[in-house]
Amino acid sequence: MKRFWEVTRAAAWLGWQVEANWADPVLFIAYSFAKPLATTLILFFMVQVVSHGHATRDTFLFLFLGNTFFLYVSEVLVGLSWAIFRDREDFETLKYVYLAPIRMIPYLAGRALTKIATATLGATVALLFGRFVLGLSISGAPDVLLRLVGVVALGLLGIVFLGFALAGAALIMARHSMNLNEGLTGAFYLLCGAVFPIEVLPKWAQGVSLALPFTYWLELIRRLLTGRAYAAPLASLGDGALVGILALSTVLLGVAATAWFNWCEGIARARGLIDWKTNY
Amino acid sequence: MSSREALAETLRVNLAAVLARARVRVVASWRETSWVVGETVFPFLTMAAFVLVYRGLHAPRIYEAFVVLGGAMTAYWNNVLWSMASQFFWEKEQGQLQLYLITPVSRMSILLGMALGGIAMTTTRAVAILLGGTLLFHVPIPADRILPALGLFLLTLAAVYALGMILSSVFLLWGRSAWHTVTLFQEPVYLLSGFYFPVSFLGAFVGALAALLPITLGLDGIRQIFYGKEAHGFVPLAWIPPIEIALFALFLFLAHKALLLMETLGKREGRLTIRGG
Repeated sequence: MKRFWEVTRAAAWLGWQVEANWADPVLFIAYSFAKPLATTLILFFMVQVVSHGHATRDTFLFLFLGNTFFLYVSEVLVGLSWAIFRDREDFETLKYVYLAPIRMIPYLAGRALTKIATATLGATVALLFGRFVLGLSISGAPDVLLRLVGVVALGLLGIVFLGFALAGAALIMARHSMNLNEGLTGAFYLLCGAVFPIEVLPKWAQGVSLALPFTYWLELIRRLLTGRAYAAPLASLGDGALVGILALSTVLLGVAATAWFNWCEGIARARGLIDWKTNY
Repeated sequence: MSSREALAETLRVNLAAVLARARVRVVASWRETSWVVGETVFPFLTMAAFVLVYRGLHAPRIYEAFVVLGGAMTAYWNNVLWSMASQFFWEKEQGQLQLYLITPVSRMSILLGMALGGIAMTTTRAVAILLGGTLLFHVPIPADRILPALGLFLLTLAAVYALGMILSSVFLLWGRSAWHTVTLFQEPVYLLSGFYFPVSFLGAFVGALAALLPITLGLDGIRQIFYGKEAHGFVPLAWIPPIEIALFALFLFLAHKALLLMETLGKREGRLTIRGG
């Protein structure tokens, strides 16, 4: 465990260096804030202006919270796959990581930590923007924030596990499969009801949505920060039940993702793909 | 060799370079199954999320059509950012930029090849979004207005990819900051250019700023062609084609200048071949 943490910490530091150490601080901060604020404002305009008064402030709060916390999903999932492609093809360092006496899972966990830090920065700014500029009623009570940290951490664990799975796929796929990973993130954005109530989805898609841990995660976050339930299909479940489902699905995801990553890694080694170059 | 023959030879070599650079992208896009799926099915899902936002808000159906058209244009804008603007930077990191510089062809030919190949690649994605939006969400796209819309779309693409040519030189000079700069040009441009709602809702000042990007007025014009006044156009439709042509000419001229500047500065400062620089 100590060794795991040492590798994770070193990889997180490396990830931070890759992300930020050479960049103009102003540019880096603008980059961190640009995506969450821009998507928040897109939704703001969609709701406030385009819906011609059909939407309430509560509707926007629903969209806002889902969109803001989904930032973690997109950052970590896309970020971990990119880490593989960048290390393998741009910096050509992936082969050296494999030569070092370390395992890939703690290395990737460290790279994920960097992405989580960047996403936290963006999500915090978006929440502050929503609370103080857009005047949304988001709870800031200490006990709520404490529970929020716990729920966010549990959800992040699942996101990181899924990131491992996508990183495994990246090991055996060409660089341009990034579209696949970004698209998968888009599919989650669609299916877990990040920006619309899942009851809008067709029945079969609602079934898929209810199989995704992110659906429960976002509902929990919304309940914590607003004090009310949103997703109709989850209305009968209490907060404790949602936490239980989230925890169980995270464990299952962890087992499946680790097995998948190990399988992909074996294929990548067998086919000599660790130093593959695919930038067409 | 006479001057006429020399000119013909120069044209032949440059045309071959355009086709060769474009071919790499076209062939590559069909060689990887994952790319085909990633380029078609999944982007459609992201666009579908925004359609469902409007559906959840009980907004007029026409706004769903705005999202579908905006989603298709998003594909081209992302291609310009990731496969034009930042391409020279990546080529430099991989050591290919120096190969381009020692070939007897214009850099503009290389960029034109990248643009044409990129358009071919991205059209798959855009068509998937349009077809999916039409068939699954039944968004109204009047068939009798497709031809004029296509004409404006092609003009818009010419101007947008000419802008991409400028950015490829600029981003190369910015070095590794280019990575973050691309991100700065992504979601904020979705907002400012009105990819998911008519840009006129942003007001005259912000709309005028956004109109510096040819994709803003192009999308605005295409929506006006299809939906008339319901599109809430930002500027009169008749103004848009001349503006796009002017932007295309301006950007092409600036792209040529930017390439020369990039090469001169790069050679002087020794930054064209340093990997990871």
